[in-house]
Amino acid sequence: MRHNFIDRYAALDSPLHILEPRTKLLAFTALIVGVLSIPATNGFLFFIYAFAIAIMMGFSQVPLNYIVGRALLLLPFILLASLAAPWKGYLGFGVLFVRAILCLILLILLTNTTRFAELLRGMRKLGCPQILAMNLSFLYRYLFVLTEEAMRMKQARDCRRTASAPFKEELKLLSSMLGTLLIRSFERAERMHSAMLSRGYSGDFPVISPRKFSWHDLAFLSVVTLFIVSTFCFTNR
Amino acid sequence: MHIPDGFLTNRIALSLDVVSGAGILYAARRAKVDISGRTAPIMGMLAAFVFAAQMLNFPVLGGTSGHLIGGSLLAVLLGPLIGTLTMASVVIAQALFLQDGGLVALGANIFNISAVTCFSGYAVFKLFGKRIIVEGKHLFLAGFFAGWCSVMVSSACCAFEMGLSGAIPLHIGLPAMLSYHAIVGIVEGMLTGGVLKFLLKVRPDLMKDEGGTGFGIPDWIGAMLLVAIPVALLIVAGSSSLPDPLEKLLGATPIASGAVPANPLSSSRIGDYMIRSAAFILLVGLGILVSRLVRSRRSRS
Repeated sequence: MRHNFIDRYAALDSPLHILEPRTKLLAFTALIVGVLSIPATNGFLFFIYAFAIAIMMGFSQVPLNYIVGRALLLLPFILLASLAAPWKGYLGFGVLFVRAILCLILLILLTNTTRFAELLRGMRKLGCPQILAMNLSFLYRYLFVLTEEAMRMKQARDCRRTASAPFKEELKLLSSMLGTLLIRSFERAERMHSAMLSRGYSGDFPVISPRKFSWHDLAFLSVVTLFIVSTFCFTNR
Repeated sequence: MHIPDGFLTNRIALSLDVVSGAGILYAARRAKVDISGRTAPIMGMLAAFVFAAQMLNFPVLGGTSGHLIGGSLLAVLLGPLIGTLTMASVVIAQALFLQDGGLVALGANIFNISAVTCFSGYAVFKLFGKRIIVEGKHLFLAGFFAGWCSVMVSSACCAFEMGLSGAIPLHIGLPAMLSYHAIVGIVEGMLTGGVLKFLLKVRPDLMKDEGGTGFGIPDWIGAMLLVAIPVALLIVAGSSSLPDPLEKLLGATPIASGAVPANPLSSSRIGDYMIRSAAFILLVGLGILVSRLVRSRRSRS
């Protein structure tokens, strides 16, 4: 398992990467709300937003096929849900679909241009409780260890059986596998935690060379605000 | 069950954001997890465990597959408050790492997948008696029903939110979600019960306490109030000129494409935006206020 499958392109150095995490969180949330408030009949505005997102994609230096691949992974569900759109036939379907895709790309851009530790620091500064941030950082660190363990167990199971067992047996197997995984994880976590405590862990993870709020952020925030306000005015006119 | 952005109307998504945010802040303040204690690593590991366990799919009828949700398991092991916090971090991680569930819809997802599963699972589990964990009798049964009910309630919430938003009509969404999750819930229930029984056998020390967080009557009142806020918001907003979600839900006024005012300058249109932006500002202000309040309380204590 590759250890950077989550934020592989987060360590680049593009105009989007150098922004402060708080700026990015706020701006991207605002942009998503902006996309969501486009009235369904205003096709032109969808194009404007798509254009803006495309510009950001270009600036971000994250490879296009990576973003598209990520979006394709979630496409089936979005398609299925959009098909159930009850009103306005094609238009309803199209609007839901385009909205969901635009928001998805924004989210992919946000997470792939920010290191996870930075993102957590931004969330923490925006008022996220310490325990949640701590839990998320634990999750991020334990996840790889755990996934490898789970995959090893899955491989071991697949090696030892030739065909799939009856449903009930299968469930028994799965739940005992989950139990074993749980026990192993607990013991590992307790070991790791006492090691961390003895090295002076106090609940927050320090970030090496954190990004600072600079004129970049100011410029980005003002451009985004201007963009959203102007699109709102445009829809009102 | 993770709702992506775009399927909920702003009003529902943002009001659930505020509710979930306030709920998490409250739970974090109330739970008081000691960082050097033993709950902290177990919480983190359980979060990673649930995240990883959700990747192990198993086949359900008809070519679809389901996976463990795990909220009721966490609620039984850690208590509902810490369970909700742990589950919330799983949902946030799924949104951030896998883009599974949107950023603005995060509040709705946290509400459905963490708060609702944890609390309903915990409530059902407790119906089987106070000392069920210690005695170990009917433990599997209790775990099974906790898991099954939590999945059903959570999927019903999801269907209601989608229905109110007009994304998927309730009369299609609710039966579809419930029937699908009735099957997924069986597996969830069996796994929850099985894992609980296994843990009681192997590590009974983990099962003895719940991290010291019971959930008393004042907490239930607080939770009810939290849930009442979005309902009240929806009702208040329903009296505005926006298309009434309840009417849409009941199919009383199917909105045709021509229903949008031809003249965008008409006063109702502008009124809509005024209301929308006012509601947005109100919600954001409320969120900031609550976070300030909680922080200042914590720094004093």
